[in-house]
Amino acid sequence: MSDRRRGSASFCGSPEHGIGRRAFLGGLAAVAADMTVLDVLKQPAVAAELKKQQKRVILLWLAGGSSQLETWDPKPGAPTGGPFRAIPTSVPGIQISELMPKMAKRMGDTTIIRSLNTKNGDHGGGAKLMMRGRMDDPSLRYPDLGAVIARELGQVHSAVPDYVSFYSSTEGRDFAPGAAGFLGSRYSPMELTTSLMPENIRRPDAISEIDHAERAELREVLSKRFARGRSSSELGAHNEAYARVRGLMASDKLFDISKEPQKIRDEYGPTQFGEQALVARRLVEAGVPFVRVARAWWDSHGQNFETHQELVPELDHVMSTLLDDLKRRGLLESTLVITLAEFGRTPTINASLGRDHFATAWSATLSGCGVKGGTVYGKTDAKGQSVTDGQVGAPELFATIYRALGIDHQKNYFVGSRPVPLTEPDTDPIDDVLV
Amino acid sequence: MADKTESIKLVKELSRKEMTFAIAPVEAGRKMLLGSADFHVYEVDFGAEKPEPRSLGQHESYVTGLAVTNGVAISSSYDGTLIWWNLATSQKIRTVNAHGKWVRKVVASPDGKTIASVGDDMIGRIWDAETGKKRHELVGHAVTTPTHYPSMLFTCAFSPDSKHLATADKLGQIRVWDVASGKTVATLEAPIMYTWDPVQRRHSIGGIRALAFSPDGTKLAAGGIGKIGNIDHLEGMARVEVFDWKTGKHAIELSNDSNKGIIERLIFHPSGTKLLALGGANDGFVQVIDLNAKNVPLSEKLTTRPYDATYDPASKLLTVSGHNKVADYALTW
Repeated sequence: MSDRRRGSASFCGSPEHGIGRRAFLGGLAAVAADMTVLDVLKQPAVAAELKKQQKRVILLWLAGGSSQLETWDPKPGAPTGGPFRAIPTSVPGIQISELMPKMAKRMGDTTIIRSLNTKNGDHGGGAKLMMRGRMDDPSLRYPDLGAVIARELGQVHSAVPDYVSFYSSTEGRDFAPGAAGFLGSRYSPMELTTSLMPENIRRPDAISEIDHAERAELREVLSKRFARGRSSSELGAHNEAYARVRGLMASDKLFDISKEPQKIRDEYGPTQFGEQALVARRLVEAGVPFVRVARAWWDSHGQNFETHQELVPELDHVMSTLLDDLKRRGLLESTLVITLAEFGRTPTINASLGRDHFATAWSATLSGCGVKGGTVYGKTDAKGQSVTDGQVGAPELFATIYRALGIDHQKNYFVGSRPVPLTEPDTDPIDDVLV
Repeated sequence: MADKTESIKLVKELSRKEMTFAIAPVEAGRKMLLGSADFHVYEVDFGAEKPEPRSLGQHESYVTGLAVTNGVAISSSYDGTLIWWNLATSQKIRTVNAHGKWVRKVVASPDGKTIASVGDDMIGRIWDAETGKKRHELVGHAVTTPTHYPSMLFTCAFSPDSKHLATADKLGQIRVWDVASGKTVATLEAPIMYTWDPVQRRHSIGGIRALAFSPDGTKLAAGGIGKIGNIDHLEGMARVEVFDWKTGKHAIELSNDSNKGIIERLIFHPSGTKLLALGGANDGFVQVIDLNAKNVPLSEKLTTRPYDATYDPASKLLTVSGHNKVADYALTW
């Protein structure tokens, strides 16, 4: 495969970010004349700037299908609108569900896309579509968003994982597991299903830290001696694998929220979703380019309103806390926070007071890196039954995400000699939501 | 084997575009009030050949409860308010901001002097029926579930002597309050009616949705849904528990019927020997529970999924408000 971009060469797109990046690159060029790159990277200010420049994604995956009517596209008073009211937000003219008062105060960093028509109301098919941006074809398995971001924005010699996925509830987990597809297992996610902390990456107690380090050094010496005069991709991959394992073992503290001040833990709250979002922030801060936090299960065929009374305030709290935290750390302009599901829910309310699967007119949001906050793209009709303006599907959404991160959505990967575009040809991003 | 003396037959049906969450008889006769998902309170004469609902006015969200006393109706809504309506003039008397969250139910005491409401702020409130002035706030139900999510206070019922009020919540707790003092006098638990799924779906469903005191005031019936495997749907067994509420002992626990879904309404037979339970998942059902024989002599599907019902012993008509329909049934029990 070729045509790879480095994440550090991509531009988030925000004006503030653009100026900072240009200034940074100018400064970098000046000092680089006299110093090795590694020496430059050791400068705290430069390292901090690099940290800010690296693009990252946190995907809040609302598994099972959250209701757009009870979140981002309320229809109060319509027969389909349900009982919740709409409330004004910090952006004049934009209203969201009353279940999201915290996000309503923070609309300035978020764009709502209200016009998704993805045509697939099946959990499995919808999840694959919305995790990959398209369906597999018979001869090719496509990578999901996390794998592509890991490929595009991951650092070759990174000591942290490139793609981490939390999915703790069992329902729906198998519908769209992290999938590297044709990119290969190098870009598969580290899947966490049972705990906040990856299992089996801790150093065994029987081996001391010194012993562990000395073993690694010995392996490296022997490896280098063996490699003299030899050239082999397998050998390189072998060494890279060891390096990554050592990196992963060293990164276990990133998953440990007890390292966070109690005040920050309190802000995220005691729920599993909140704790996982806090780990996600720790991970992206340390350079992990893609983290998915799946909150399952929103599939409210019965008692939709009670279900959303539980889950939407939690989403509101966790998402607003995450955005605040990222912003406070100077990371929001380089981190794209996405809310997405496999589909939305029917405007029609069934006799169990539930809403069923609905992929015809639903919503997603993008916050932070590369997007125009405080905007709404697309429109649905008065009852929320169809898109009346700005209809987009999964390919357009994915093209928009790639562009927000500075990734050329039309670039080709090559599977053998076959060019495979990142998004289907002639797919346009939603320019209206991009800075 | 119980005698097959129970029967139910559809008499009249009124189609509605909206869900009708509440129904209450205006007076002896066939006039009814309907609380609707289109936010309106309607009056309708079910004795008419073609009943035509007429709006009294509207709330700002679903109308969830109706109580009628002394020519006045009180409606409750998810908009957090109670509205007093003069039934003679069809005029609004007053609007009271009653609860900080959804109001789930409003009931009038049998003596007509007191109104009680419950809401998702987890507080029961007792009001003077005539003046609308608040008398007591009933605080005691847990505000959040053990897993840190908001709880819900679904329903309430007065005792026949108007001295006690029972309130019930999502976690399956019932509290019985002394109406005069506003103090808790009994606490009952029906935890099976709450399902938290910690593994598959990580949210909850259930709660006690219906309460009724027996005519002699000694028993308290609670209705809801039993444990559910798949909480995406209302696929659990409908469940009724009857307590001797002063001792806390169970008189009956019933979930062995084939009906699935939530019990939304419980009505005691005037004799106190039988209990009518209405509810459903996507479909609706009615069942008669024989409290002495501890069996179910009647279990029938309804033509609508019920949210509320009222029974008139004189005409033996059961009027059910439900999903897109309001229906009269002739009931023998």
